[in-house]
Amino acid sequence: MSELEQRLVVLGRELELPASPDVAPAVLGRLEGWRPFPWRPVALAFALVAIAVGTAFAVPQARSAILRFFHLGGASVVRVETLPPAVERSQAGGLGEPLPRTEAERRVGFELLLPPVHGGGPKRVYVLGSSLASVLLHADGRPVVLSGFISQAGLLRKLVLQHTRVEPVRVAGVPGLWVQGPPHVLTYFDRELGLQERPIRIHGNVLLWTHGPLTLRLEGRLTRAQALELARQLG
Amino acid sequence: MVDRPLDEAELVERARRGDLGAWETIVRAHQGIAFRTAYLLSGNAADAEEAAQDAFVKAYRALGRFRRGAPLRPWLLRIVANEAKNRRRAAGRREALALREAAENRPGGAVPSPEAALLSGEERKRLLAAVERLPDEQRDAIACRYFLELSEAETAAALGIRRGTVKSRLSRGLERLRAELGERP
Repeated sequence: MSELEQRLVVLGRELELPASPDVAPAVLGRLEGWRPFPWRPVALAFALVAIAVGTAFAVPQARSAILRFFHLGGASVVRVETLPPAVERSQAGGLGEPLPRTEAERRVGFELLLPPVHGGGPKRVYVLGSSLASVLLHADGRPVVLSGFISQAGLLRKLVLQHTRVEPVRVAGVPGLWVQGPPHVLTYFDRELGLQERPIRIHGNVLLWTHGPLTLRLEGRLTRAQALELARQLG
Repeated sequence: MVDRPLDEAELVERARRGDLGAWETIVRAHQGIAFRTAYLLSGNAADAEEAAQDAFVKAYRALGRFRRGAPLRPWLLRIVANEAKNRRRAAGRREALALREAAENRPGGAVPSPEAALLSGEERKRLLAAVERLPDEQRDAIACRYFLELSEAETAAALGIRRGTVKSRLSRGLERLRAELGERP
């Protein structure tokens, strides 16, 4: 540790910090009677929509300009006039911590759905917060990102411009959304931990759909037909 | 000797099964560092208390997805830090940190500890003011790593960034402090 670092440690010990309050009684009071399950599906759906709208309005640039709203599983797509500031990222950047598959599955609490691939599948699974798992795959010669999370545990909020296509589709008989067009902005919100990740600018097309309790997302420079075919292969 | 990590793992398991008494023990064990972290990041005592309280409530509700065997403190601190930073963003500002009176006005005859002797009263004020002028990302890293004396791994967990990013933010922050204080690297 350099001398400056040592001086900072000393400084930290001499800071005037307020006495730590005892928060235990208030915490326990709020948790009294709380039960994680069962959640009523209708109430849950309402809560997710409320959070989606709320988080969209939390983006200042979107505050007065929400034009249309779509919701599916734990994802929402909000059409706005202007996209908020967002960071660019490489395809694996911003996906979270790279982990071995078994550890990632333990962390997010579900088994990954992957298409049949040669070579044993991806070696690393990226985990964001403690709920969103993503893998990098190759399909039709192009890199794609497949992400999933338990719909109750998170919320993907996607902001798109007026001229971005948002179309309802069906994936293996269940409803989905196909998002195609100019860059859009993605934010992931881990509802239980209250973690909101930085908005990321996405350039590829995206397919969103649900699979039982999971919300799944496929991102890449794929056509709609290619994305639907890949989604059908998951299992 | 008490095996503390094992005890905590058992408490987490009990809390996971709904034992609020076990969670209370965990809250009491970590509320000090939780509040100090929240205070340094939010810059406001009321916000820090609220952030710490909300974090313990959210963490309990998310225990089902806490990785068994992982250290609890970094996970808790990440939730605390996030709550605190959200409040700082909402408030748009934070109050400046202050030095304890005893540290600022050390009596002339008092002999400082060897560590405290590294800094004179005036140097303390200048260093603190320079830290306060750092960009938030560097200031937060320095506050967690040196003021709270968290490890690099805990700092990374608390701020939700990789260890490499902690290193680079600390390095840039230290470089900037040296420049402000007119010191050579």
